[in-house]
Order: sequence, then C-alpha cells, then structure tokens
Amino acid sequence: MTRASRRLTLKLAAAATVALLSPAAFAAAVVGQPAPAFTAPDLAGKPVSLADFKGKTVILEWHNFGCPFVQKHYKSNNMQALQRRFGPDVVWLTINSTHAGHQDYQSPAVLTQELKKFDSAPTRFLMDESGAVGRAYGAKVTPHLYIIDATGKLVYNGAIDDKRTANVDDVKTAKNFVVAAMDELRAGKPVSNASNAPYGCTIKYK
Amino acid sequence: MSFLRFARLGGAALAAAAAILPAMPGVAAPVRTERVTAELLAERSAVLPGQPVTVGLRLVMDKGWHTYWRNPGDSGLPTRIAWTLPEGWAAGPIQWPYPEAQRVGPLMNYGYSNDVVLLSTITPSANAAPGPVTLTAKADWLVCEDICIPEKATLTLALPVASSASEAKPANASLFDKARANLPVDAKGWRAESSIAGNLLTLRLVPPPEATAPAAVTFFPFRENFVDHPAEQRLARDGNGIRLAVKLVEPVAPGLNEAAGLLVAGSAWPGLGEARAINIAAPVMASLPPAAESAGSALGGSLILALVFALAGGMLLNLMPCVFPVLGIKVMGFVQHAHGDNRALRLQGVVFTLGVLVSFVALAALLLALRAGGAQLGWGFQLQSPAFVTALAALFLLMGLNLFGVFEWGGFAQSLTSNVSARGRYGDAFLAGVLATAVATPCTAPFMGAAVGFTLAQPPAVSLAVFATLALGMALPVLLLSFFPAALRRLPKPGPWMETFKQLMAFPLLATVVWLAWVLGAQAGNDAVLALLAGLLLLSMAAWVYGRWAHGAGIVRIVAAGLLAAIGIAIAWPGGNQPASAVATSPGAPAARQGEVNWQPWTPERFAELRAVGTPVFIDFTAAWCVTCQVNKRVALNREVVAKAMADRGVVALQADWTNYDPRITAALAELGRNALPVYALYAPGEPKPRLLPEVLTASLVADEILKLPSPKAAASTPPSR
Repeated sequence: MTRASRRLTLKLAAAATVALLSPAAFAAAVVGQPAPAFTAPDLAGKPVSLADFKGKTVILEWHNFGCPFVQKHYKSNNMQALQRRFGPDVVWLTINSTHAGHQDYQSPAVLTQELKKFDSAPTRFLMDESGAVGRAYGAKVTPHLYIIDATGKLVYNGAIDDKRTANVDDVKTAKNFVVAAMDELRAGKPVSNASNAPYGCTIKYK
Repeated sequence: MSFLRFARLGGAALAAAAAILPAMPGVAAPVRTERVTAELLAERSAVLPGQPVTVGLRLVMDKGWHTYWRNPGDSGLPTRIAWTLPEGWAAGPIQWPYPEAQRVGPLMNYGYSNDVVLLSTITPSANAAPGPVTLTAKADWLVCEDICIPEKATLTLALPVASSASEAKPANASLFDKARANLPVDAKGWRAESSIAGNLLTLRLVPPPEATAPAAVTFFPFRENFVDHPAEQRLARDGNGIRLAVKLVEPVAPGLNEAAGLLVAGSAWPGLGEARAINIAAPVMASLPPAAESAGSALGGSLILALVFALAGGMLLNLMPCVFPVLGIKVMGFVQHAHGDNRALRLQGVVFTLGVLVSFVALAALLLALRAGGAQLGWGFQLQSPAFVTALAALFLLMGLNLFGVFEWGGFAQSLTSNVSARGRYGDAFLAGVLATAVATPCTAPFMGAAVGFTLAQPPAVSLAVFATLALGMALPVLLLSFFPAALRRLPKPGPWMETFKQLMAFPLLATVVWLAWVLGAQAGNDAVLALLAGLLLLSMAAWVYGRWAHGAGIVRIVAAGLLAAIGIAIAWPGGNQPASAVATSPGAPAARQGEVNWQPWTPERFAELRAVGTPVFIDFTAAWCVTCQVNKRVALNREVVAKAMADRGVVALQADWTNYDPRITAALAELGRNALPVYALYAPGEPKPRLLPEVLTASLVADEILKLPSPKAAASTPPSR
C-alpha cells in the first residue's frame, strides 16, 4: 500500500481521528501541557471526542487483551476496580490501538463480549485501529495510563503501579500510581509522581 | 495470545524446572520454555572456599525473539535472577552485556537476540566444607517478538566445593570469553560531562591524549523514562572527542546531576582492546565549553598529513589571483640578477622566504591569541575589517603608481625593482614576502581548508608549525628559483623590455584595488566606496607631486605631498561607527535571474527549519573578499545546469556570507571542521552529515552531486521507516 492510499484509508477508517497530527507522527503528550484532542469511534461505532468531557477529569487506559500484563490486571480484577473507584464524575476511556492485521486484534463484537465477561466498567471503550490517538499521546505499552484534569491539562503519564511484572499475585502488594495521583489531584495538590516509565507489551501499531 | 496458552506456558516451564537431573559439575541440564532455552553455566568445574567464581545464565532465544537489558527501553522488562544459595554464600548483580537497539514501530527497545549470557559472581562461604553443592536460580524474563511472553524457569547448577586448586578446573572457557568481550569497560583516561538545555542532553566525551573517539557512538542510558529512546542521537566532532545530542523525555526531571549509561561504538574503542562499550557517568554541568573544531574529514586528524596538505596548499597559493601581482614583481626582481650574482640571488630568495614565514606566523599567532580571548574569528579575518581593506587598497595603489614610474621610493624603502643598494634590495624582498602573505590569506587554496580547520583545533605549537609549513610552501617556488636559477637564465637579458614588464605588472595591482573597493562596498556600502576612491585620488596626487618634483624644491614638495596624502587617507578611512549590519543587500546574494540559482540568506534558524522538514540544503560559505568563492560562483554555481538540478531535487540554496564578522558562521564552519573559505556543503534529507564539495568547482561537478540526491517523487513513495 502506498503512503498516499494508506493515508486515505486511515482517513476513512478513523473518521478524522486526531485533529492535529498526521498519522505517522509519534509525539509524547507532556505532563503539565494541554492533552492532545482526539476523536475515535467507540465499540458501537459512535464517535467519542475528548472535548465531549470538558470540565471533567479523564483517565486514559491503553488496552490489549492479548497482552499478559493487561491480563494480569483484569484477571486480578485490579483494572475493573480502578475503573469504578473514582465514581461517575471521573471519565474512564479505555483505548485499543492494536492494528487490524495483528494476531492480537479483536473486533468490536468480540471485545464487547470479553469486556462483559471481565465485568469491565470504562465510561467508553475506543477503537484506535489506525493508532492515531496512541501516537498523539506517545502511548508505548499496554497498559499505559494517563490522567487529564478538569482543565484539560495532562497531569499523569506512566505505569499503573510499581510492580513491573506479569505476575497476578504482585497486584496485592503493588503501590498503585493512578490511585496516588488521583488522591493528590482531588486534594488539590500537584501530582508528585507525574511521569514515569510504563511497563507492559509494546503497542501493536500499524 | 490466549489465556490458555499463557497458562500452559507457565506450567511447562515449572514442569521442566522440576525435573531435576543428576548433578553434573559445572553444568546443568538446559530448561526449555516456549521461546527460550535457558541454562546455568560455571567458569570452573568446582569452587574453593571464599574464592569468587563467575557463573552465567545463558538464554538462547528463538529466531526473531528478544530479551531485555537493564533499561529495556520503551517496553519490555529486564531479566531477573533470584539465587538460592547455601548459608554464607553471596551472589553479585547481573553484569549486563551491552545491548542492541531494537526498533519496534515508533518505539525503541534495548535488548538481546539469539544468544545472551548474563554473568554473575558467586562467592562461596569462606568456611564451605568440601563436597557437592547445588546452586538454584529462579530466573524470569520477558521474551518478545511481535507479542510478548513473560517466562520463568528454576535452574540448578551442581558446583562442588573442592579442597585444592587443582580440582577447580576451567570450564566453558570460550563461552565465558565471548560473554566478557560483550561487557562494557571503564574507560580510563576518557572524560565525560554533560549539560541539559530544554529537552536536549549534550554528552561531551574527551579522549585521553593521542586517542580519537570513534565516529559512530550511541548512548544507552541506565535510567528509564529519561532519554526519548527512539529519537535520533546527533553526533558532532569536538576536537578529537565527540558531542552527542540526545533528546530527553518531557518534562525533564529537575535536579538531574548525572547522565549515566553506556556509550556503544560501531567499532572497538581505541586503546581499550576489543571493547565496543564503555561505562560513563557524565556529571550534568551548567554549561559545556564551546566545541573545538574537529579534524577535517579529509585529514583524519593526522599532523603529518596536515603538514603535507599545508605545504601543497601553500605552493598552490602562488597561482591564486590575490598573490599573482606580488609574485610577478618578485620574479621580475630575479631577472635582474639571473644573469649575474648567484649569491645575491640566493640571499634574496631566503629573505623573501623569511618575510613570508615571519608574517604568516605573526598573523597566525595574532589569530590564535584573539581566538583564545574568545573572539569567533577565522583565517582571513583581517579582511573582515574595512580599515584593513582600505589600507591594503591604498598600499596597492601606491605600488602600482610606483611601477608606472610616477614616483620612486625614497628614504626607508627602495623601489621594489630599482637596483640601488644591496641592503635596500633585501628590504624589498622581505617586504614582498610580507605583502604576499597579507594578500594571500583570503585565498584558500585547495587542500588548505581542511589543514587550516585542523590546525586551529590543535595546541598552539602544532598550529604554528602548520602555518609555518603553509608559508614555506608559498615561498618554496621563489626559493627554488633563487637557488636553481637555470630556468631564469632562459629569460632575456635585462634591458628596455623590463621597463615595459614593470609597467605591465602595475595593472594586476590596480585590478586588486578594484577588487578591494568592491569588498569594501560589500562591507560598508556605496558611500564607503566613494570615500575610498576620492581618498585614493588624493593619494595619487600626493604620489605625483612627490615624484614630479623629486629633484626640485625639497621641503615644499614633501609638505604638499604629505598634506595631500593625509587628506586622502582621512577621507578614505572608514568611519568606525559604521555597523556591519548597515549593509542591506549582500553582493553575494543578488536577485535570481532566469537560469540562476535562487540564493537565500543563511541563518541558523532557516537552516534548522529546512532540515527539520527534510528539505535538502546546499550551503555556499562565501565572502566578497574570497576570490576563489567569487570565481566558483560565476563559473560553477550560478549556471543553468546547477539551477535546474537544484529545482529538480527540491534543493534550497543558502548563502552564508562571511564578508563581515559573523560568529554564527564561524561556529557553523567549525562544526564542519573548517575555518577558511570557500566551503560548499550539501545536506541530503535524513543524513546528519553533509557532503563537502571540493574548493574548486565545475558546474557539472555540482550538478552531478545534487542529482545523486533522491528525487522528491521517489522519496514520497517510500513508506515511513518502521
């Protein structure tokens, strides 16, 4: 596929996903700066924009069920508990940037079933098959977590916790960085550990 | 990957580990996981109480699968080992071999492929009793191809405690030798420091004396979430050392006081055996000293080669248009002696050579002193001063008038060609040497650019040696003629033809004045040229008065001539308050005509902007006072074939005009290892280093170089690198 036709396909498929970046650009969202805007379809194909949640705290979770590190947090019910923990005022967007040609790719229908099986509770689940949203944020691995505060500023970029393994048992003893950041944010304090290296499987970008 | 597969995998690894095999000293049965074969190895068949021994965890990965270094990069996890040892024994940390950079889509990992041995030191208890002992290592690692699998294995190693050294025989020698060869070394004598500006880390590596840093070096940081791993690391030479510009993850953590990691070279580090990787812990400084000019690529930093180039370059200088008039006069001076006094001729040659040498070295010493004081100056710097240009124009005019016979020198200096006294002649010869030097410096001969660039980065003694050699090269043809006058004897005997020749030689001198007037125009504008010419007119009148009444009224003549000369110089002298930036249009950048190259002025910002979007760039480092530059511009650069080639390849032509003092251009030249003009640099998209074109150009040479670049259409259809 030539670059031009790939670009066209991307445009059609992703319905003009990320406004500010070309599909090839890989940039890192920077803590302390406005979070990159994006629009991506949810599992029902309905477009969801970051701008839809203006004035609310938004948490982004990069996801791929094929990844043992994601499995660790879903099998232990750690991720689902986290999705419910902060209540309805906090928006949780789970984003999957696995490209359609990869063995880990799951269709929206399959994902809907799997998420139900795990009793997953994100506000919305977004399909980012083009990888445009992931690239705009510089998302590296699954799981990779971001927190955007109510003013639209990125306040956290990093790992889910400090136990950098795929071992389910480690969840019990881990220090959860997202919980710590949210506690500080809610107390009106700056996030002390705002940027760290996430761990997990490489995102299967197109 | 399914859950089923994941569960099955863990089970398989544990089952394999559980099957403990009969203990065999020094080795253990390998354990096979889904993608890796793992085993423990020891360097000795047995250990002695209290004596450390090296053991290795060997991971043989399936083709295309990777395990990871201590900093795995953007994803991945480092391999871990948890030892279970007898009471009183101790295990050291993993000694990590240097990793390879593994690009995965837009991400970068640091790890290993095929086969890796991770060494650790095991120290037995000092009072270990002789007899069989089993070491147990629980190892876990992440192995990735396109997908990642966390794997683990429990490995055992039978390692008896021996009672005598003879029982602890070497084992697995070749494997351990190979593993050690991949370990980073502490580079004694090499010094690293760094600074952070914005999100850019600059690492500076200074080699010990006599060593030169390798040309391709990559930094692998120990710390995670510090360096932007996939970003290109830009290497620049810094004398014999290097500077590496490394993009950092934003926001840059405050209070970083050290950049620690490995520097991995494309080849072995000089003076460090076969080692490809060195450990560095570069303290973060407030700022780094300015980069030294690096050795020119054509030179490879060798002093002897620089001397050879300097000698050849000096000889070629004689053919340059700036030197020619002075040389012409010198040769004519020889003719007078060519048919007679050999000794006088030789002495003349030697004195001329001394004149060249002394003035060259004095000029170089002045340049070095000014540079040491922090001034961003380059070779030919004196011509960046309008005052110097004016003085030189006045001097050349007077010399020309003298040759026409308008006046004769009196008093302190004899005529350049008159045959008065021996002492006067030697004075002339010395003066001719000084003059030749003064006008020669702006003419960079081929081979000289790299030599001058090299030499200014060296210790002063080396610098001066190179400049002295350059001077010797320039004086050499004249010196040889004076010692072997056979060639001169073929010239006709002195006679009336010499007067004709003398007058003829005035024209190249006056041509030089014309050129200097144009240089001044470029530096200080139109009005300065008018002032110069008016001043020169008065100076001519002074010379005429001085010559016309040479045998008449003594004091009136001197006063009148002196007054005219003084007024002339006062008019011509460029105002000190004339800022260089007052010149709105540089003569180097005329509006493009049909079939000519569309030059744009060079600025560091414009250049960076073009490079950032991958536009190929051609830079012409030029100056009005650089004659070679002007010749090249007319015969090679501003030609239709070049303009067409540039248009075809989308090349943007930038002109860096060094006519006036500009520290930014001096710095840009230094980055290329140059300090003299002309320099022609062609930057291809995606290539960090430019192609440097020769100092003497032809239109087809330039066009050919440009057409070697990929055409923009072809570049657009290439898929982005993954």
